[in-house]
Amino acid sequence: MDFTLTEEQRIIQHTARALFTRECPLALVKSAWEYPEVALPLWQDHLREWLALSEQSLADTTLFMQEYGRALVPGVFFSSLLAAYVASTVEATLSGAATVAVAGLNGYWTPNEETTRYFVPSAAQVQEVVVVSGSPQAPRVAIAAAAQVSMAEMEQLDRLRPLYSVDVKGIDRGRDISPQAWQQVVHRALVTVAAELVGVGRYLLDSAVAYAKVRQQFGRPIGSFQGLQWKLVDSALELERAAAAVSYAAMCVDAAVAEAPYAVHSAKLEAGGAARRCARTSLQVHGGIGYTWEHGLHYWLRRAYAGDAFMGPSDFHAQRLADLLFAA
Amino acid sequence: MKLAFSAADEAFKEELLTFLAQHCPPQARTTRDMIGSDDVDANGVMVIPQWAREWQATLFDHGWMIPSYPPELGGRAATPTQTLLYLEALAQRGICRSLHFGGYAIVAPSLLEFGNAQQKFLAPAAIRGDTVWCIGMSEPGAGSDLAALTTRADDHGEHFIVNGQKVWTSYAMVAAKCFCYVRTDRDAPKHRGISLLIIDMDTPGVEVRPLRHITGQAEFAEVFFNNVKVPRENLVGELHGGWRITMGALAHERGGLWVEGVAGCLRAVDDIIKMIVRLGLQHDASITNRVARLYSQSRSLRAMGWKGFASFAQGSSAAEHSYMKVAMSELQQTLYELGMDLQGAGLALTDPALAQEGGRWQTAFFNALAATIGGGTSEIQRNVIAQQVLGLPRA
Repeated sequence: MDFTLTEEQRIIQHTARALFTRECPLALVKSAWEYPEVALPLWQDHLREWLALSEQSLADTTLFMQEYGRALVPGVFFSSLLAAYVASTVEATLSGAATVAVAGLNGYWTPNEETTRYFVPSAAQVQEVVVVSGSPQAPRVAIAAAAQVSMAEMEQLDRLRPLYSVDVKGIDRGRDISPQAWQQVVHRALVTVAAELVGVGRYLLDSAVAYAKVRQQFGRPIGSFQGLQWKLVDSALELERAAAAVSYAAMCVDAAVAEAPYAVHSAKLEAGGAARRCARTSLQVHGGIGYTWEHGLHYWLRRAYAGDAFMGPSDFHAQRLADLLFAA
Repeated sequence: MKLAFSAADEAFKEELLTFLAQHCPPQARTTRDMIGSDDVDANGVMVIPQWAREWQATLFDHGWMIPSYPPELGGRAATPTQTLLYLEALAQRGICRSLHFGGYAIVAPSLLEFGNAQQKFLAPAAIRGDTVWCIGMSEPGAGSDLAALTTRADDHGEHFIVNGQKVWTSYAMVAAKCFCYVRTDRDAPKHRGISLLIIDMDTPGVEVRPLRHITGQAEFAEVFFNNVKVPRENLVGELHGGWRITMGALAHERGGLWVEGVAGCLRAVDDIIKMIVRLGLQHDASITNRVARLYSQSRSLRAMGWKGFASFAQGSSAAEHSYMKVAMSELQQTLYELGMDLQGAGLALTDPALAQEGGRWQTAFFNALAATIGGGTSEIQRNVIAQQVLGLPRA
């Protein structure tokens, strides 16, 4: 496996980082909590065109999503990217911002016939809802106008990525897709979420390390204390391991190798675990200041946990991985 | 980022596999959970058997001992990527190159970098295994704090007189030469008074006492130096300039070890899965969930090693590699401990007739306990990462 970035991949990484540094400051993140519409110009002026990533290699997408998670970019890009993955299975082009409705109350992306779907990201901010129904053996994809479905916001940890319950009764039957095509979409979506989580973890860790260097107690920087150093090292280790797992999974999916499902579940479980660990460490290292609403660290902490839960938490993916390992 | 390697690299691997099929003796294929030898004499003291000497020489003669070196040094001018493919191919098959890594992995590279023309001449035999080397570093009072070493070499012009004691010296009982760190200036700051000497183990005054470790075997020794006369031409590098070389030596040791450690973890996971099925525990989710997480960690560490390698091959330092030793050594312990736990009360048994796989999980666990101590303890590794990778201030 060759982790060397191509020139184009390096450009994706740099462009994304520069874009979010410029266009997505902490102030935007903070105000998006109350007013999601403040993120609209960023979507319209920049992010909409990045949806082309859905047709590029997953490796490219993971590089972008790590920067996206690091900056905790609010808005409809994430749900639209997932929607584009699903829409491509029926050769549909989405006209604008979109989202995906699959999961029932357990949150897993298993095709089903429930009339209410939960954990639908950004549903009230988008124009189209891609609905997946049927069963894992016979999935179907339908596309509905968001204005024609009723929905309700779920009460949740992470309002920067609001989740909705959506009533899909009365939506047309849609088109059949192959179970393999659906599997491919699930893999892409899981690695995309995992890449974002690595970015979230990266912000949490970097901010903790930076703070530990400047915060003085007992006449010296707190980052000189071994107890705190080891906590940061162990979090960094878990994060680097997750970052490698995510890139590896992307390469496996891109190459369509038999190991892909193993690598995908591994990536999601590593990334969710690493982001959560970095969140706890970062809050602990920041001490009282990080516990204030005003500081803003909690937005990333919320995403670490909500992102881990999205499409099933670490434990769920560990069990899917176990199923694969013990079926062989 | 892509999974596939170039056609040239695939051809390289193909040639290696053909060579292994033709030449690798069955004994070299015994799975080793750690570098070391299963070959011991009646007293449990390590010996180097004939097959191992011949195998290492065969690797050297065919350019497969250290592929990145030129043919005269047992290589074939392989690229860094090819070297990693080589190490992984061997590790995945549980094939060892040598029973004594000190000579080819530490002494030879250090001599080639720091030695004079005469000393460089010793490198090929060190790599081929014709000369067995031991490394005199740790002392009773100098473990993690290596620079505190007190074995002294007094400068008598034409020669040095060495007095002191080394400990945890691997292979000392079979070595012909010792790569020995000694204090040549007791007044200088501790890092600036250390020199490196080549000491022939048959010099009068050198005494080796095998040191039995907790598995019952003895591959380490204590080495005592009592008025040992060492010719001045055996000084490597500059007088008092030995510390620089120790840093290089440890770097060589770490650079090549992650591949074998990761392969060991992956093999352990595979074997644990087989044991679980054998014991009929595969429907216990609390167990399978734990195994899946360990599988995930092992596979991810492999990816992390390769990811670090991508930066390394382009000449940048790789943060990933700093994490490998601490992660791998701790994961190995967890895996072997799980292998024991699965046996219930049997975890306390080493009876070949009663314990799973003849008690090898218990042995492997005891062996793995050394991995978080030797070559830099996990605690020292964490301090180094905190300061050098994360840039945190010194305690």
